[in-house]
Amino acid sequence: MATPVGLDLDAFWSGLLAGADGLSAVERFPTADLRVGRGGEIKKLPPAALAFRSRAAALLAAAALDLTTRAQLEAAPERIGLVVGTALGGVEELDHALSDDDGARRALDGLYDSPAHAVAAWLGVRGPVLTVSSACASGATALGLGADLLREDAVDLVVAGGYDTLCRFVMRGFDALRSLTRDRVRPFDRRRTGLLLGEGAGLVLLARERDARGPRLGRLLGHGSASDASHIAAPDAEGRGLEAAIRAALAAGDVDIGDIDFVSAHGTGTVLNDRIETAVLRRMLGARASVVPVNSIKGALGHTMGAAATLEAVMCLLAARDGWIPPTVGFEEPDPACDLDYVPGACRAIRPRRMLSTSLGFGGCNAALVLEGAA
Amino acid sequence: MKQPGVRVEAVGLLTGWGPGVEALPAEARTAAAERAVIPLARPALDGERFRRATRECLLGVAAVQAMLEDAGLTRDTIRGERTALVFVTAAAYGASNVEWLAGQAGTLHFPYTAPSVLPGEVAIEFGLTGPYVILIGGPAATVDGLWQAGRLVADGQCDRALVLAVETFQECAALWTRARWTLPQPLVEATACALIGPGDSPVTYAPLAEASSLARAVERRAGRTLACAPLAALALARAAGSARAVVSGTWRGRTAAIELAIAAQPARV
Repeated sequence: MATPVGLDLDAFWSGLLAGADGLSAVERFPTADLRVGRGGEIKKLPPAALAFRSRAAALLAAAALDLTTRAQLEAAPERIGLVVGTALGGVEELDHALSDDDGARRALDGLYDSPAHAVAAWLGVRGPVLTVSSACASGATALGLGADLLREDAVDLVVAGGYDTLCRFVMRGFDALRSLTRDRVRPFDRRRTGLLLGEGAGLVLLARERDARGPRLGRLLGHGSASDASHIAAPDAEGRGLEAAIRAALAAGDVDIGDIDFVSAHGTGTVLNDRIETAVLRRMLGARASVVPVNSIKGALGHTMGAAATLEAVMCLLAARDGWIPPTVGFEEPDPACDLDYVPGACRAIRPRRMLSTSLGFGGCNAALVLEGAA
Repeated sequence: MKQPGVRVEAVGLLTGWGPGVEALPAEARTAAAERAVIPLARPALDGERFRRATRECLLGVAAVQAMLEDAGLTRDTIRGERTALVFVTAAAYGASNVEWLAGQAGTLHFPYTAPSVLPGEVAIEFGLTGPYVILIGGPAATVDGLWQAGRLVADGQCDRALVLAVETFQECAALWTRARWTLPQPLVEATACALIGPGDSPVTYAPLAEASSLARAVERRAGRTLACAPLAALALARAAGSARAVVSGTWRGRTAAIELAIAAQPARV
């Protein structure tokens, strides 16, 4: 893990449980001309990660460093895959490439799959290296595709996850769209006025059940995706794509919605997303909608885009391991249009067993994961 | 319902050389005559909805339209939740990103910098609401996309899967020129798609350490089309009447390959 609340799994988890605020004034690039200059910026990366030219690769490497202290890549290099999701790839390097003439390398670093290949080479991974870019749903689809490669015996291990950097390119874009809040991020709160962006990277090691060694965090039971086919930037008004993705993930995992006892929502803090997501979850959960805890960790981290779904999936598994669900930081005043149990205030002592994680992104992307704690 | 395997039902191809495999020269390098990029014009598509759409979005729509026409299929064949959309590109987002970075684009251009917006426009145009996968990379990623599409069909998660690739280079030509030692030119703008449906090809990667003969033929005739190359290979195989084809893609040192059955092209009246 590399996140605004901690640079390893333990710091990430304790930060979430404590309700830490990882949002701060952005220092790495100028923001004076923007409406909003705050975000979930990582102030310092591990020295080993700084060997990479691009910050995107450095973030991914920081997460890989943490992962490899906890798990060994014990398989033939050509039987190990790497599948990562990103909304922005190496776009910051494209900016540099346009403004200087540093030869071919910088131009190639601007390609969205460059960070994955750089880190795959660093890890000695020689199997398939896939970059998924389904916008802010990328981290979920990446975990799903990694699991597919294992299930079909194309590889024996997969390093999977997501990453994205907080850079001027994306800050200027969301600022121009008036999507960024000048207030704090308040997912599902009556006073919510938008999101703040964050940066981060999360990687997990996926293995087939029979090949897994050492302690396990849990299981990815199913994943699903669906296209809205309604608007390039806004979610479908009825959330039909999100509902289809959830149904597909449940079907793939052979899990009944009645068995889901915790939901990690996309929960960006925008007026539209939170209302639509709530309506979909209410439809799906039915009579249990008011009692199944639903949280969003974007109030603590900001919206980490391609990293978000992976960080949220790991959060679900840690909740199952330790019996604590992190709060929705920033949620204080209920909105009549958002009437679920959003875990306000402080972390809650519940040990979920089967969990649902939802994600949405530009281009009508929707993805869902169904997870189970190791127990 | 699970399927025993898959096959290619239809293919669409537009390149800087023109529509279909018929337009490809015998030798791209010779035909390019020192030109670094062979461009594809912005398709003239009607509709208010396309007013803001980028050239690469319209190219994606045009490829699917060409595929449907070539195979004699209607839009209803692919509309709805039973068709998956798998999109692959190495670089088509570059044009929008450069425009945004240059500060010349308006606010509403920003979403178009996301690679997912191109397939998003295609999904809206054709009403595709099924499983949705977007991969970034060159020809090897397209083979991964074909594998993923086949898996979705074989698993019964959809009835058909549309694999679409788009590559544009014109707006970033200076950057590509700097990278020419890695990517020999000519770079040929292209858009291609294949419709994967139930059939008898098992969905497995083919063990292949180097480019297939089809991949070499595509590079010789079409030039560098990056993610479009494996789909162009399917178009070549289909035009030649092949019932099966091994398509491969090599990118950043990895070669991936898959063997697919191909449905016969409908007779032209």
